[in-house]
Parts: sequence; structure tokens; C-alpha cells
Amino acid sequence: MTESESHTAEAGLRPIAETTWRFWVLVAILGAVMTWALYAYSVQLGVGLGSTGMNAPAYWGIYIVNFVYLIGLSAGGVIVASLAYVFNLKEYKPIARIAELLAIVCLILAMVFVTLDIGRPERLVNIVLFGNPLSPLVWDFIVIVIYLAICLVYGYLGTRPDIVAAMKAIPKRARLYRALALWYTDVSPAALRRDERTLKAIAMAALPTAVALHSVTAWILGLMKAQPGWHTALLAPLFVASAIISGLALVVVATVASRRFLHLDIEDSLISRLGRFLVWLIPIDFYFAFAEIITVQYGREPAQFSTLQDVVLGPLAWSFWTEMLVGLLIPFLLIVRSKDRTPKRVGIAAFLIFFGVFFKRIDIVIPSLIFRWLPFPMGGYVPTWVELSLMAGVYAFGILAFTLFAKLFPLVPLEKAERPEGEVVHVPAAPA
Amino acid sequence: MVRWGMVIDLDKCTACQACIVACRVENNVPIGGEEEVGKERAIYWNQFFSEIHGSFPNLRLRMFPRPCMHCEDPPCVPVCPVDATYKDADGRVLVRYDKCIGCRYCMVACPYGARYFNWFTPEYGEGHENHLNPDAVWDGESWLVGPTPRPRGVVEKCTLCVQRIERSRKEGVPVGSEHQGGTVSACAQTCPAFAITFGDLEDPGSDVYRLSKDKRAFRLLEDLGTRPQVYYLSEV
Repeated sequence: MTESESHTAEAGLRPIAETTWRFWVLVAILGAVMTWALYAYSVQLGVGLGSTGMNAPAYWGIYIVNFVYLIGLSAGGVIVASLAYVFNLKEYKPIARIAELLAIVCLILAMVFVTLDIGRPERLVNIVLFGNPLSPLVWDFIVIVIYLAICLVYGYLGTRPDIVAAMKAIPKRARLYRALALWYTDVSPAALRRDERTLKAIAMAALPTAVALHSVTAWILGLMKAQPGWHTALLAPLFVASAIISGLALVVVATVASRRFLHLDIEDSLISRLGRFLVWLIPIDFYFAFAEIITVQYGREPAQFSTLQDVVLGPLAWSFWTEMLVGLLIPFLLIVRSKDRTPKRVGIAAFLIFFGVFFKRIDIVIPSLIFRWLPFPMGGYVPTWVELSLMAGVYAFGILAFTLFAKLFPLVPLEKAERPEGEVVHVPAAPA
Repeated sequence: MVRWGMVIDLDKCTACQACIVACRVENNVPIGGEEEVGKERAIYWNQFFSEIHGSFPNLRLRMFPRPCMHCEDPPCVPVCPVDATYKDADGRVLVRYDKCIGCRYCMVACPYGARYFNWFTPEYGEGHENHLNPDAVWDGESWLVGPTPRPRGVVEKCTLCVQRIERSRKEGVPVGSEHQGGTVSACAQTCPAFAITFGDLEDPGSDVYRLSKDKRAFRLLEDLGTRPQVYYLSEV
């Protein structure tokens, strides 16, 4: 091991070995939020879903908005993984682990949100016992499980060498790390090459699975002819596109944040390159929004037109315009020029995109539900404290999971200098 | 083969809403209370609608009851993740109350808003709670589909009074409005204007068969292709 490599390894392991008071404050705050959420859940279980703001016709509310949002965010994992392994762009390897971890956390949170939305959670096992093959919810359940399995295997194999390194570097936790490595501690070049081949195969399988995941989630909504706002063939491609942009934005946000707080070894040029991806992706989202609006506006088919009016001008119009301006236009202007793509700016732009897509999810889920074919009284939906507390608790759980992972494992692969011989990729650093 | 259905004559309907009350009593439909009605959490297996068309002075008030349409091609059935709602052999769309997980996907899929969710534990008004219908109906797989009070957190809806029909068939009592003393749904039985006709849409001798072919007959949201088994006769 050369001197610089051992230095890198030491720096990479520092967040694990050293725990500051900041970590404990964060854990305490997250724990408090989660405890409050547990209380809110006990109210919801005790009273019933009547304790939420959901009603007829807002049969679904903020839980499903978050479910759809988080499924989209989980896309980041597979994008970065495929960049690093399928397209062999090794410069993305340093963030592959963060991306994969985020994907796993987002998928788990998405499943928690669905569980919160269920009227009788103790009967969830019925999906396994009596699953109806015609139900898009069952398709989604299957594809989520497959995608989660892919992310877990991928994350495990990619992290294993570093778990073994941590096992050797921190003797007092050796037993723990040995268990976390699932007792597979062989890091000989032959074993690593075998892992690499498996990773590559999994990364390839992950791409179609990710497309399936986002499409099937869109089809839960888009196949419903009773919901004019959803019933468009555009919905699945739109979900794939906005999953890619929001997933990537989340990876950038988490990378910039953990780089700052954990002093991780990630270069500026990598972040500005990710910023360039975001700049290319934003117009695609605009394009989809425009294609949808012009089709409905021109045709004025009453049901679709009424839903669109609700989205753009109705009581939830603030959400649509927040997404369009704060979530797309401002980030685009922030980083459209290549010399503006500093880590800080890219981080802010990515945060705005990540934040804005949430409003896009509100626009997709709620206004279409509010539309009614028969002359029902006009409906509306406002989440209650129970829903908002549970939402805060679930995200606190997600942040805690991410933080604990960062405590247990290096977020950035330690052997970052390792490149297969003969295909060294030289990437010029961004101009200062 | 039997296919139960109804025909509602809007020309005869006086908008008295006795059908809504009769349904509530027959099927143990809980009462939401004033506050929950205001929040749109009330349950009506048969809901009454009024709609004003036009503007003054050319106004027209349209009123109609809306039970479950028991569609021939029900959009609510395929979406159920656990097979808790199904189209039975006699053309009814039923819910298995002890199987439903409460995801409300079927409600999202129904364009008629005919499905209702138990946001709370069902409550019955004073008096009503002492006179709940004790009937219970289980389907061929022993799931509960009859009018026993539903638990909190499940979806419920009109069953075309499955408990009445099944008991009458077992006891050999004729079913359908065309029979003198024949069994019909509670809404049809109670209607003082004889606006609601109940029977077998497959039987050429039945009243519903004849009326469903009437030139005044139409179905709600026919363009969606759900093919309801509840017909309306338009006002003349």
C-alpha cells in the first residue's frame, strides 16, 4: 500500500472511528421526531384513518404523494450504478455507494408510507397470500421487491471490500463487521474480480428493472379510466423522466452534504459533471409538462380539461407553479452556464429540483382524485397533524438510517485509485 | 344464468329519498355524524344527487339516487390487490369485508363514487343500534359479504341486498318486481312511487328486462364502457 493510498483509507475511515457531539445531537433530534411520529401512529391506529385529512374523493393523500415521490427518488441509485458499471465511467464510482444507499433507504420509506395508508395494516399479508395478478398494486409490490433486492446485493458487493478494511482497521468492532460482510471476507484479487463481474451483471439488470419500477408505479395511477388526470399514455414516460432527474438530484444533495460534513474525498469536477446532467434533464421535464398541457388545452375534453384547470389555476395552483419555477426554472438558470457549476451552486440547484418534484407529485395525485364525474359536492384535501407528524417521522427514520450507515461504513469507496489496467480514464478537472 | 339489476324511473321518482333510508336500515350502513358528513366521510350505499342545469330563468333541477352500478365490466374489480372485491356468478359486485386491506384502490378506480370507506369504527344512531340487521352472508370461499356491521378500515358498498336475494332463493320465494310479493332490494321495496324495479336482466319475462330495453333507458357515464346493470329511465 502506497503512502497516499493509506492516507486515503485513513481519511475514509475517520467518520467511522471518530464520533463528534454533533452526531449525538442529530440522533437525539431524529429520535424525538420519530417518537412523536409513533404517538401519531398510535392515534391513527386507535381512531382509524379518519384521523387523517383523507375523505371522498381524496381517497389518497399525502402518504401516497410521498410514496410516489420516494419511488422516483430511488432511481438515483441505478443511474449512477449503471454509469459506473455499465458504461464503465469509473469517475462515478466514488458516489455509487451513496447513490445505492439512498435508493435502498427511499424504497424502504416508500413501503412504510404505503403501509401507513392502509386501512387494515394487519391484513397486508393478504397481498402475498391472495395477490391478484391483475392489480397494478401487486405488480408494483413485485417490482419493488426485485429492485430492492438488486440494490441490496449491489450495495453489499460494492461495500464488502471496505467492510473488510474496517474490520481490520477497527479491531474492537471486528466481529460486527465480519457479520455485516456476511462472513465473506475474502478480498483476494480473484474474489474482487468475481465481485466486479457480478456487479456489472447486476447493474445491467438494474436498468430495465428501474424502468419497470417507475412505469408500474405510474400505471397504478395511469391505468385508471375513472381518473382523467392520470389516464394518459404520457404518465409512465413522465414518471421515468422525473424519477431520473429527482433521483440524480437527491444523489447530488446527499453527496454535497456528506462531503461537507464528513470531509469525504469527492472531487469538485465530479459534482460539476453531475450538474451538467441535471441541466440536460430539466428541459425534458418541461417538455413533458408542455406536451401534456397543449394536448388537453387544445382538445378541451371536459374531464381532462377540468383537471388541468385545477392543476394550473385551482386551489393547488401554488404547487404547480412552485414546481415549474422553484423546482425547474431557477435551478436551470443557476447551473446552465458551465462556469457556474461550482459544488455549492450545483448543490443548491439539486436541492431545489429535489424539493420541487415533491410538488409535482402533489399535482399528479391530488387534483385528479378531486375530479368527479357525478355531481358530488366539491371536494378538497388538507393533511392533518397526524399525517404531517408521520411524514416527518418517516423522513427522520430515513435520515437516521443514512447517518447510521455513514457511521458504520465508509460512504466513499476506499480503493478509489483502483482502476483496471489499460483503461484508465483521464478526466480533466473543471477549470477553477 | 342470472344477472341481477335495477331500473330507476326518474319520471316516477319524487325525490323523497326513502330508498336511501331503507338501504341504510337494511344493510347496517353506519351514520357518519354531522361533522364527518361535512368532511365527506359519510357512507351511502345508495346516494342521492341533485344537480342544477342552466341559469336563471332557464333552470332545470335533476335529482336521482345512485346505488352501485354493478357494472358488467367493473373497473374496481381488477385493481384489488387481494381479490377482496369480485363480480359474482349472479352479476353482483361484492366486497369481502374480512379480506379487504383498506387500500382504497377500488374507490379510486370507480367513476361513480359508489364505494365508501370506513374512516372510523362504524357508529349507529340511537335506536338504530338496537335494530341492526342480524343477517350475514358468506360467499363460496367463506368470506363475509353480507350486511353484518363492517369493521373500521375496509371498503363497503351496495350489494343489491344480497342477503334478501340469497335467502329467498333458498326458501323458493320468487325474486323480482314482476312477481306478486316477489323479493326485491330494500330501495325498490320501499319506493312509494314504484320508481325502482328489481330483477334478472337475463330473464326476458322480467320487468327489468323489458324496461332496460325501453327507449327512455340510459345508463350513467355510458361512454366509459363499464356497462352498468343499473338503468335509468329519463324524464319525459
